[in-house]
Amino acid sequence: MRDADAFSSLHPAVLFGYFVLIVGVNVVFMHPLVLGISFLGALAYAAYLVRWAGLRKLLPGLLIMMVIAALFNPIFNHRGVTMLFYWNDNPITLEAIIYGGVAALMIGSVLLWFVSYNKVMTSDKFLCVFGHVVPALSLIFAMVLRFVPRYFAQAKRIAAAQRGIGRDVASGSWYARARHGSAVLSIMLTWALENAVDTSDSMLARGYGLPGRTAYTDFKVRERDFMAALALGGSGLVVVVAIVAGVLHAEYFPAYAVGDWSVAAWLALGAWMLICAAPLLLGLREEAVWRSLRSNL
Amino acid sequence: MALAQVESLTFSYANTTQDVLHDVNLSVEAGQFVLLIGQSGCGKTTLLRHLKSALTPYGTRSGVVRFDGRALADVPLAEQARRVGFVLQNPDNQIVTDKVWHELAFGLESLGVPTPVIRRRVAEMASFFGIGEWYHRDVDTLSGGQKQLLNLAAVMTMQPDLLVLDEPTAQLDPIAAVDFLAATKRINDELGTTVLVTEHRLETAFPLSDRVVVMSAGRVVADATPHTVGAVLARHADPMVTALPAAARLALALDGVDNSSAPVSIREGRTYLRQKLAENPDSASVTSVPDLRYERGLGSHAGTSTDKTSVSTGIITANDVWFRYERNGDDVLRGVDLEIRAGEFACVVGGNGSGKTTTLGVLSGLHKPYRGKVRILGLDPVKAKGMELFRAGLSVVPQDPQTLFMRNTIGDDLDDAASRQYTDRDERREAVERAAATAEITSLLSRHPYDVSGGEQQRAALAMALLTNPKLLLLDEPTKGMDAFFKASLAEVLQKLVDSGMTILMVSHDVEFAAAYTSRCLLFFDGGVVAEGTPREFFAGNSFYTTAANRLGRGLVPGAVTVTDLVDYYRALSAESV
Repeated sequence: MRDADAFSSLHPAVLFGYFVLIVGVNVVFMHPLVLGISFLGALAYAAYLVRWAGLRKLLPGLLIMMVIAALFNPIFNHRGVTMLFYWNDNPITLEAIIYGGVAALMIGSVLLWFVSYNKVMTSDKFLCVFGHVVPALSLIFAMVLRFVPRYFAQAKRIAAAQRGIGRDVASGSWYARARHGSAVLSIMLTWALENAVDTSDSMLARGYGLPGRTAYTDFKVRERDFMAALALGGSGLVVVVAIVAGVLHAEYFPAYAVGDWSVAAWLALGAWMLICAAPLLLGLREEAVWRSLRSNL
Repeated sequence: MALAQVESLTFSYANTTQDVLHDVNLSVEAGQFVLLIGQSGCGKTTLLRHLKSALTPYGTRSGVVRFDGRALADVPLAEQARRVGFVLQNPDNQIVTDKVWHELAFGLESLGVPTPVIRRRVAEMASFFGIGEWYHRDVDTLSGGQKQLLNLAAVMTMQPDLLVLDEPTAQLDPIAAVDFLAATKRINDELGTTVLVTEHRLETAFPLSDRVVVMSAGRVVADATPHTVGAVLARHADPMVTALPAAARLALALDGVDNSSAPVSIREGRTYLRQKLAENPDSASVTSVPDLRYERGLGSHAGTSTDKTSVSTGIITANDVWFRYERNGDDVLRGVDLEIRAGEFACVVGGNGSGKTTTLGVLSGLHKPYRGKVRILGLDPVKAKGMELFRAGLSVVPQDPQTLFMRNTIGDDLDDAASRQYTDRDERREAVERAAATAEITSLLSRHPYDVSGGEQQRAALAMALLTNPKLLLLDEPTKGMDAFFKASLAEVLQKLVDSGMTILMVSHDVEFAAAYTSRCLLFFDGGVVAEGTPREFFAGNSFYTTAANRLGRGLVPGAVTVTDLVDYYRALSAESV
């Protein structure tokens, strides 16, 4: 299978670490600029990965969620010192409106990062990360991924076969349909149990259950992964330290206040910007290389 | 010293008294390719499973199984896992993980092999089997043949000394089956791995084997080379004789049991037949030899293509039917024209992906064609509401009978199937008994559907379909995984149904079955019918997609389709020249 883009071809551990860092900062640290950068980065990268056609399907839902977050906060949260007006006898404050907007940005960027996550972290990459932590769990996960689509396909076959001898799940009285539906389930269950015996034989025959099982992954750690981990990890460290040390900070209640704009703060924001743009930059750089290679042919 | 040795092994399953294996002796030398054959239920699988402790069934046993000089019980499980590779019948059930590469690594992971070594072994095996192209794919996306090849490769990564294969090609189409067996032969030839395989596809497996072991009712009844085993079986009048490759049967018929080196492959068979014919000095001048092409219609039971005009309307007609699964997908059916007349036993043959099974789906209203017209039992399946088509007398037996079983006994399942047609309890019991008798499963009614063989499951499914009182029966690959005897008895059952006025349309890869038993064959290719005719016209006209006997006699015996045809021709020739 081909990787989605240049960033996706990094080692799964690096990718997973990246998403943990970025979503973690997003969720924990409510800073308007940090979240704004993150939102733009997430939107750009998601658009790059799934193209406009893919994004068009997601955007309406995303916008609705963001609007709900932005509206609900001032309606239900009445903290803050700058009261603007009363709505249904409830005070609406500027701080709550700002906080709602920032919360909407947070939700939007986290969701958009997850769009990219789904494209980038395919199941085998996830397994690679967790295979090292809990080998048994990683196998169970791989088996689930194998059996779920298989069961769906079999359920379809069963329904078709039932129809062939005159028991259709899709027609007849309500009662008949329910009965035929439960028949499909029951056949499915028997089939699954009986055929699992074969699977367990096949596992036993290949030594499953012997002590000292290892977890193989098809991914190699390359120099590129070290470099990426170093660059992203370093930038991440700068951001996290800046947050913990209070260089970057934002307050909403009782009054809205965003930290002083020291050099350190700008440095941290720059590092954060680098992190958020990294996947897209990697992808664009590789595309540029391709173009130059092609034009030199 | 033998690599694996079975010494006077007797075995019966727990809670039964009947011996499944009785005093079995078998010794497999390192590097051999051993073919183990016998009728379904003769104990082949039980014997194979004794070669690995992890798979050995529970029960009472006496005798010893040795591996590499030691009693198997003394060989550590890890060593057994590594050195004895097993491939079972069902390609799907054996695959554990979702990715090809992960499946290849599974065995080595179990053995605790470190990642760099696994990477190397997996790479080697993927290269050996040409898996490179689908190495990163999800196993879902593989064909049946690819899946079974993956199962083989996943075992070979452990570099076993002994490879045990239990009917590995039963679920595969003929081309994938030949590929798979060729791959095992390559392993045997190029890596020196010892192979022990059970097979029903003897036509393909015989020429590959060094040795053929025949089992019958839990005993080894013959153990000889492929070239001599036929004579041994014939001397004992063993029923397995009828399952031998066409060339071997021909030699037995012409030479009796004295031939010490019977031909087994088509090539050997043609050389042999050429010699036999040359023994008749003036065979070329013989004129009264029957021209088989126009005589003795094999499928004389029902409408041959000559009486096309006498029956005006078909029970199924399809005119220029086009179908695709997805709007942007490729056409699967590309202008299907076919007509099936009442009382026919018709068979659609053709390769994988030619649209055979899809056609059944369109005929039964499961798929809606986007162009063309279908009439079936006087109805249009696209417009037929609900179960109208099935009330009019259509019944479909699915390829996989396990998609029908839900109860604890076959009898209960049949009772369920009859519940719509027969509300009266006594009537229903009678109907069930009748259907069971027709399908010849009366003795199995109290058994669990999963405890009977694949061939028996197929007949139970047939009985369920019969209980809807069909006029028209559609069958999808009914002979899949069956041995020669089950096929013959299924053919008898189906013939009885046709004689009683039922129309049967089956879809099959099984050319030999179609040639021997049906009344009309249609060849599907590229989403449409490209040739049709009575089996005799049809297969005599084909050169490659045809029966083994036809390929044996091509250019030598005009129009022969079965071994009997070849024998008759030769006898007529001999009589003439005397």
